[in-house]
Amino acid sequence: MQDHVEDNGANMISLPSYLFLSFIMFIAGLVVMVARKNIIAILLGVELILNSAALNFAAYTRFINQNLEGNIMSLFIIVIAAAEAAVGLAIVIRFFQLKESVHIDDATQLQA
Amino acid sequence: MGLNYLASLSHFVPELLACVTMFGLILIEATYKEEHKERGLFFFAAYIGFASVLTFLCLNLKHEAVAIFTNSAVIDPFSTLLKIVMVLGTMGATYLVSQSKDIEGNLRPEFTIMATGVLVGGMLLSSANNMLLLYIGIETLSILSYVLASLKKSDDRSSEAGLKYSLYGGISAGIMLFGMSHIFGVLGTINFTEIGVALQELTTVQVAILLPSFLLFLAGLGYKIACVPFHMWSPDVYEGSPIPVTTFFSVVPKVAGLAALIRITTVFFSHEGAMNMGWVGILSVIAALTMTVGNISAIGQRSVKRMLAYSSISHAGVMLLGILVISEVGIRSVVFYAITYLFMNLVAFYIVSFVNDKYGNDHFERFNGLIYRYPVMSIMMAITMFSLAGLPPFSGFVAKFHIFNAIVIKKYYVLAIIAGLNSVISMYYYMKIIRLMVLKPAESEEQISGFSLLNQGIIVSLTVPVLFLGIFWEKIMLVATNAKIFLE
Repeated sequence: MQDHVEDNGANMISLPSYLFLSFIMFIAGLVVMVARKNIIAILLGVELILNSAALNFAAYTRFINQNLEGNIMSLFIIVIAAAEAAVGLAIVIRFFQLKESVHIDDATQLQA
Repeated sequence: MGLNYLASLSHFVPELLACVTMFGLILIEATYKEEHKERGLFFFAAYIGFASVLTFLCLNLKHEAVAIFTNSAVIDPFSTLLKIVMVLGTMGATYLVSQSKDIEGNLRPEFTIMATGVLVGGMLLSSANNMLLLYIGIETLSILSYVLASLKKSDDRSSEAGLKYSLYGGISAGIMLFGMSHIFGVLGTINFTEIGVALQELTTVQVAILLPSFLLFLAGLGYKIACVPFHMWSPDVYEGSPIPVTTFFSVVPKVAGLAALIRITTVFFSHEGAMNMGWVGILSVIAALTMTVGNISAIGQRSVKRMLAYSSISHAGVMLLGILVISEVGIRSVVFYAITYLFMNLVAFYIVSFVNDKYGNDHFERFNGLIYRYPVMSIMMAITMFSLAGLPPFSGFVAKFHIFNAIVIKKYYVLAIIAGLNSVISMYYYMKIIRLMVLKPAESEEQISGFSLLNQGIIVSLTVPVLFLGIFWEKIMLVATNAKIFLE
């Protein structure tokens, strides 16, 4: 793995670029969750954040740590994110059937 | 060094048994017909499964701490004791679900199956010794909890609770992972023990990256134990979920999150340094806020269930005090606190649940004059409320006293004063229930069918530890003292 990095060292995308990209994704995810009112969009924001973390793990493994731990983490993040999205969407569908809306402002019944 | 896989499995029997219980329950449930209401065999099998898990955990309690599966998990007396608490909590919630009218028909077995799944997640979380297992544990716990919260499919409050839980849960898991990814990048490992070693020698640049990363990491864990400012989901979810689910949430995920937080704090921050100071400082602020916000919000509530939700937030704050001192005395006090908290919570929620079944809501007024109709139950409720408020001679007092002791030894006097003031505030809303039960006339003479002789007996036997641990606490404290955390 080390050799491969050095071979292409001249025209490789460097670690800071990856970190910058993942940071942008993280911020975008946070903004989506705060600003958007559609529940589906909020779930997409969650996915953005999870993927930014997965990208970070993969990038750090590739450029600095060279052990498999980061790649395994990325794989697990992808798998578990899918499971979480499945349950999240199921709940949203149920919510939609009851309220006929996927707008977060309609979920206000429980505020004291 | 770690053991090989087969040898590791022999230390992993309780978790495997819990998994087997879960699959067995799914199979048994599949054999029932839709209209079959009682399902005695199902619950019998569930109790047998939990009891066998409990037996193996008790046997493990005396074993030496050992790292298994290439150091990714640790089986130590500390995690085993908290797993016992979690199994007891699951059993308590399962019994409540079989009696409560809040969840009916085939939702009862569904609850039991998923609660067992959450239990497996909690067990993983409390033994996790690297970030991967921590993440898997948290997600196993969370994903099933979302389903549990929205268990009543046609109830819009329940599905709203599940919706809020899953959105907040997803966000916090993502934020935690983002923090973990930078910790991994800087320190080059996901193993907690290695991170703890690496944290002792850091350059300034590394500290600059790690401080915000650990803050993000804490946000994810703080969400699981519902500490301020990550607590917004908790009262809504507790109120919207059916009561047996709320009972379950207030014990199992909370204890599991605390176990993970204790392990992380002890393994990472036992040594003096910039990181240690930062972490303890943040935890102190969070603990003070958690106690205060939890207590003050609890005052104005109409629903007893929501009041108990806020009170459980403030109890999490008190337990955080025991964590942030990073000493054996602190850990021992938190473990003892968790044990007493389990029993107090179960009694309080049992009684609230049966009252709620009768009247359809759990507002404070429903407790009016309860002592004239159900004197034994009212006395049990009163004992629990005194204990939750931390009055002697009940177990809540002993637990709080040890936490205070731990923080005074470390000379955190300001925190001790804040905690003391909070105890006084909490008296108000706990005493309110007792006042209504004793001083107000009864609203009606109707029977509450939930308070059958058997259920009353079970509530009394759950109250016995609340009283007993307040007087003869040395034995359990000795067990908690022996529950040492694995450090290498």
